[in-house]
Amino acid sequence: MGNFLTRENYKVELEIFEGPLDLLLYLIRKDELNIHDIPISRIAEQYLEYLELMKMLDLNIAGEFVLMAATLMHIKSRMLLPPSERPESDDEEPEQDPRLDLIRQLLEYRQFKEVAQDLHTLELEQAATFARNEEDRSLVAAAERPLAEVSIFDLLDAFSEVFRRTAEAPAEEILGDEVKVADKMREIRELLQHSEVVGFLDLFRPGSTRMEVVATFLAMLELIRLKAILAFQRRLFAPIELALIP
Amino acid sequence: MDDDSRLTTEHEAPEVIEADAVEVADVEQPRLDDEAATPERVRAGVEALLFVSKHPLTLGAVRRALADDVKMTETEAATVMEELRIGYLRDGRGFRLVEIAGGYQLRTASEFAPYILKLLKEPREERLTQATLETLAIIAYRQPIVKAEIEAIRGVDVSAILQKLLDRGLVRVAGRKEVPGRPFLYETTRVFLEHFGLKRVEDLPHLSELRAADPLQGKLDLK
Repeated sequence: MGNFLTRENYKVELEIFEGPLDLLLYLIRKDELNIHDIPISRIAEQYLEYLELMKMLDLNIAGEFVLMAATLMHIKSRMLLPPSERPESDDEEPEQDPRLDLIRQLLEYRQFKEVAQDLHTLELEQAATFARNEEDRSLVAAAERPLAEVSIFDLLDAFSEVFRRTAEAPAEEILGDEVKVADKMREIRELLQHSEVVGFLDLFRPGSTRMEVVATFLAMLELIRLKAILAFQRRLFAPIELALIP
Repeated sequence: MDDDSRLTTEHEAPEVIEADAVEVADVEQPRLDDEAATPERVRAGVEALLFVSKHPLTLGAVRRALADDVKMTETEAATVMEELRIGYLRDGRGFRLVEIAGGYQLRTASEFAPYILKLLKEPREERLTQATLETLAIIAYRQPIVKAEIEAIRGVDVSAILQKLLDRGLVRVAGRKEVPGRPFLYETTRVFLEHFGLKRVEDLPHLSELRAADPLQGKLDLK
């Protein structure tokens, strides 16, 4: 599927700082799942869908994503066995839930994500005060800060919705003019110069082909990477909106 | 407007000197000697130090700077700071005295941030992203820590982010861990404390839970 946008045509070098644990926590939060009792089949299935999406878009996927996919499949297979038939562990520990290590890792990471929010609040408060002759500091006042920024997973989630609803293009269209990501980048900029804030869905014209939809999405990612535009949500899981960064 | 304010200063200045001259007539320059070292003058002296300090002013530095005229313990210096802090608050000044990164600093009141941002037209510095904040949090709460340990918690490579933190001076190398490969250990810096307005690392929120806790805390709903 990724073949209509070749490397020569365009490759988005978006640095993805989120890892597989971020994706798992995202999925858990999104469906309000109990982190202490993760439905592993369901999570594994959704995880693989996101992985496929990232592959299709030819994003730089860290090797850790693939490793985690294998881990999830392994846990899933062990869950299918009744406890008595699970392979014995070397040490003589009591029967252990196959999910235990993963859950522990997720909980620990989630704690750090939470205190990162606390640090963010402290940072905002501190950014609003100034010392004399201060060099090298953030001059971004609290009021200027963007609202909650979105993660790559929010963007992928929104994109997959659009992509699913877009019909496969008739064969002759694929043979026609190729869609250039650079053109789409210009279009998005123009759109945002007209209206300051644009909803994510408004980027995609009705009747767009899948090729256009993918090109538009890649163009948007590239503009985010270049810090030309900002994607944000007004609250958790609210619709994604875009604005130019002045 | 500048001229006006200069005139006012020139006009008022002689009166101040006159008032001082009554007490210290035989001294060319007012000194903080035993006679003149009233609480008011000590306070003013400390205020002068705060005014010129580029970095948070420590109590030790205050004690040393005043040592020729006033013998002062750090506890006494802390009391002077507290008096200044309360005084600024009471008088509704445009700045506050805050305790930060192991010292004291005059900082503008946050309500005036919009004015200051208009005045200073410097380019805005990139703020810390979520991924950067998370990496920094892991270092702050588990310091000193090696890169592999950070990556074990975040589940992803942190090289680029770590480099950014080092470049910005928020983190530094604390030494090497005596394990095979002798990897670098990382810790947070004074710049880190200043960036987040913390007095010391011990003031990080939720420190006790995060320092080395087992996040499970025995409440797993295992079936």
